[in-house]
Amino acid sequence: MSKILNEFIKRIDGPLFSISFLLIILGLITLAGSNLETSKIIVNQVFNISVGLIIFTLVIFTNPRILFGYAPILFFLTIFLLVLVHFFGIESNGAKRWLAFGGLNLQPSELIKITLPLMIAWLYQNFQNKISLKVHLIAIFLILVPVYLVLLQPDLGTSIMIALSGFLIIFLAGVSWRLILSSLVITILSSPIIWMNLHIYQKNRILNMLDPFADPLGTGYHTIQSMIAIGSGGGFGKGWGQGSQTNLNFLPEANTDFIFAVYAEEFGFFGVILIFALFLFLIYRIFNLANDMQDTFSKLLTVSLGASIFAAIFVNIAMISGLVPVVGLPLPFMSYGGTSMVVSLISIGIIMNLNNHKTLIAN
Amino acid sequence: MDNYRFKYIFKKRIQILFGLLVFLLFIPLIKIFYLQIIQFERFHALSKNNSIKIIPIPPKRGLILDRNNVILADNKLVHSLEIERSSYSNINEIKNQLKAKLNIDIDINDKKINYLYKDTIPISFNLTDEQIARFVAHQYSFPTLRIKQRFIRDYPQGESSAHIVGFINRINDEDIIFFNKENLTSEYLGSTHTGKSGSEKFYENLIHGKPGFKEIEVDAKQNVIRTLQEKKAIPGKAINLTIDYKLQKIAEKAFGEKKGALIAIDPKNAEVLAYVSQPTFNPALFTDGISQKAWAKLNESSSKAMLDRVVSGLYPPGSTLKPFVALAALGNNIRKPPFSIFDSGRFKMPNSSKVFRDWKKEGHGTVDIIKAISVSCDTFFYGLGLELGITKLNKILDDFGFGKKTMIDIHGEKKGLIANKKWKKEKFDQPWYAGETAITAIGQGFTLVTPLQLANATAKLANPSLSIKPHLLLSVDGVKQDKKIKIEKAQSYDDKNLQWVKEGMVNVTKKGGTAAFLGKNSEYQMASKTGTAQLFGLKIDEEYNEDLLPDNLKDHALFISYAPADKPEIVIAVIVENGGHGGSVAGPIAKAVMDAYLKEK
Repeated sequence: MSKILNEFIKRIDGPLFSISFLLIILGLITLAGSNLETSKIIVNQVFNISVGLIIFTLVIFTNPRILFGYAPILFFLTIFLLVLVHFFGIESNGAKRWLAFGGLNLQPSELIKITLPLMIAWLYQNFQNKISLKVHLIAIFLILVPVYLVLLQPDLGTSIMIALSGFLIIFLAGVSWRLILSSLVITILSSPIIWMNLHIYQKNRILNMLDPFADPLGTGYHTIQSMIAIGSGGGFGKGWGQGSQTNLNFLPEANTDFIFAVYAEEFGFFGVILIFALFLFLIYRIFNLANDMQDTFSKLLTVSLGASIFAAIFVNIAMISGLVPVVGLPLPFMSYGGTSMVVSLISIGIIMNLNNHKTLIAN
Repeated sequence: MDNYRFKYIFKKRIQILFGLLVFLLFIPLIKIFYLQIIQFERFHALSKNNSIKIIPIPPKRGLILDRNNVILADNKLVHSLEIERSSYSNINEIKNQLKAKLNIDIDINDKKINYLYKDTIPISFNLTDEQIARFVAHQYSFPTLRIKQRFIRDYPQGESSAHIVGFINRINDEDIIFFNKENLTSEYLGSTHTGKSGSEKFYENLIHGKPGFKEIEVDAKQNVIRTLQEKKAIPGKAINLTIDYKLQKIAEKAFGEKKGALIAIDPKNAEVLAYVSQPTFNPALFTDGISQKAWAKLNESSSKAMLDRVVSGLYPPGSTLKPFVALAALGNNIRKPPFSIFDSGRFKMPNSSKVFRDWKKEGHGTVDIIKAISVSCDTFFYGLGLELGITKLNKILDDFGFGKKTMIDIHGEKKGLIANKKWKKEKFDQPWYAGETAITAIGQGFTLVTPLQLANATAKLANPSLSIKPHLLLSVDGVKQDKKIKIEKAQSYDDKNLQWVKEGMVNVTKKGGTAAFLGKNSEYQMASKTGTAQLFGLKIDEEYNEDLLPDNLKDHALFISYAPADKPEIVIAVIVENGGHGGSVAGPIAKAVMDAYLKEK
């Protein structure tokens, strides 16, 4: 047992693991504060964390060569699942996002967040030393397929996340600035077409961001309540379990998407600074590890996974502070829920695993 | 691109990326700093106000109906002009603005802020449609005012039956103290009114109902964002009174402009059939707060329209007390037939030079106890009183319920007065004189009774086995309230004695009786007693000429009666203030009510 533990400690990256674990604990504390009457949420979340840690352990004990070898298969399998969602998905709130496997609900759009970077990193690894415009175009195409499929569900937030995680790899792989600029122009020009194809509720959310107080009854409600929760926390917060916005059920989704608002209400601006420092250190550590890695695949995948985590953090916090529309995205490590927790821990696991095999693929 | 160059570009780009991410992360951090530090006060206030508000929904008051479901107190939907609680301090300014801009007058004298309201405060219930239209057109000038719909009390019968129905008025400070004491505060959240007199007050707990609640979410401006849940108010229970409104109306008509009281009781079950106190008032005057002027007019000393004479009016019983005094004597084996006296119109006090006169100057000749009742012979009763003594006399008056409350279900009942030695000693520090016993026996002296006591005592005479106290509540939501009726021990009297008293009372409306004219052409036999209560103590051996007296010093006319004499269905007591002789003034009023009631039967 101690042998396994030793091996475990040897395989994990101390700083990265500590930061992640600290964030998980802070999330759990916040959850406990706003769910004082019922232990069910806490028990469930501890279970989610345990499952996440078990999968994390499995990942760090796996040879990353397998990951590399299976990257295309995993990617196309996820694409296949996304297509299946379109036909057999469970519909809720006007969106089809879930596949039911027996009693298990699977969200393929969460899986693609890992398998797409895997695929793109695999692509660049295979074409290393001969990366050209053609490779970049293939990469762009591979990115747009799942982005489009997720947009069809419709799930705007996730599709943007997926696009960002993919394009980031192209950027890191050294695509020319000229190409970056021209694609930005194309995106801006095509935005009216995207707007026309958006769902009414998505349009409302975007419009609402411009003036959340215009429609406090409907779509602005979440944003207003979240801003009140954060603002009323002040410098030092209302204290653990004392968030009135939360406890009076003003704040919707207080356990999941809006947990950061609860945290900010109860622990104040100084608490917020602590979390921001942890987030920043998390990303810094991941980038540092990526820089020290030797092969293209590891480097690209690590940064992409790290950037995905960052993007989720950023969008979530921007959302709860009223900067971007409410898109329904959990905060990594902290929000209540299994999928997000498991995905975040797998990402961290993969990064550590890659770090343990610095010479994964001979150059 | 070779591997070295890739690593170089990668490193550079990862640095750019990290810089970008730090920059990006600063955007929400600045926003949060702005929210938490710069705008803290605002959001702190928002989170405090931004709460779930519970708005009480006042219950609809239960209807008050007569025994035949004639509506005595109803609810009507009106538009009310209401002000936000927080703006009430500006009420005078708003009042002036309403007057200046819209020519709407509101009387705010009685509309004191009531801290039980958790909602807006109504400042007027009686705006005309035209005034409402004018207000709505200028609503923007009055952001703190709004028009709402409320149910307010309506009294379809107006002044008729006002004393028994009672009225409601705005909840005042005393009410709030009472609610606190009785733990009723939560029942009155959102209510503006409470019962202040009559059945509206006595049965407030039944009529009022339970408030409902609307749980709403409001923003910092107190605008309703949404209703979270709603619990409907439980309306108050409808109560049926024992009153027969038709009979009531006939009694009121018979009174005309006269002042006084009438109460009719069913001697079989002590249900009050009619309950009239004249003059009366319009209970609707109070619903929106009564103006000072109107209040002063109602309480004018001569009319005393607010006084419920049935239970609060105290009158000397006069000769109407004689049947009870007679029964007391007979019960003590005093002056039993065939005992008789010869009445010369004068009664000389034993061992004294004092002489009491009979109301009939020339006297009644030979008089036994039966005739003494029917002709109301004072002389007979002076002597009877002296033989009986004040203690034994008071004993029977107590048995018949004089000098104590009947415990009828209405507020304000007076005890009346049955004087005795002890009372006089305490009150005047004087001994009891024999002469006072003599005049007590004819219903004068200190004795004071309420019309209700007279009717109640007469009912016991009509039906000695009656053990139920007089009451006004017949049913609640259609369910008879038999179980809640107060019971007292029935008295038992010797049948023969009762028979003699009854014979005397029957003869009152027969030839030679004091109200013989009432018996003419009557389809049924009534047992009655007339009374004339002197309002001020006549000096002994002095006479007064009624015609020379101002109205308010004239005698009160009293009349008690039950009918049919052999199988009593109705008991009536009537007092006409300053009416003069009982038989001729009060008698016909009682007869009119009896006629109507017995004809119906």
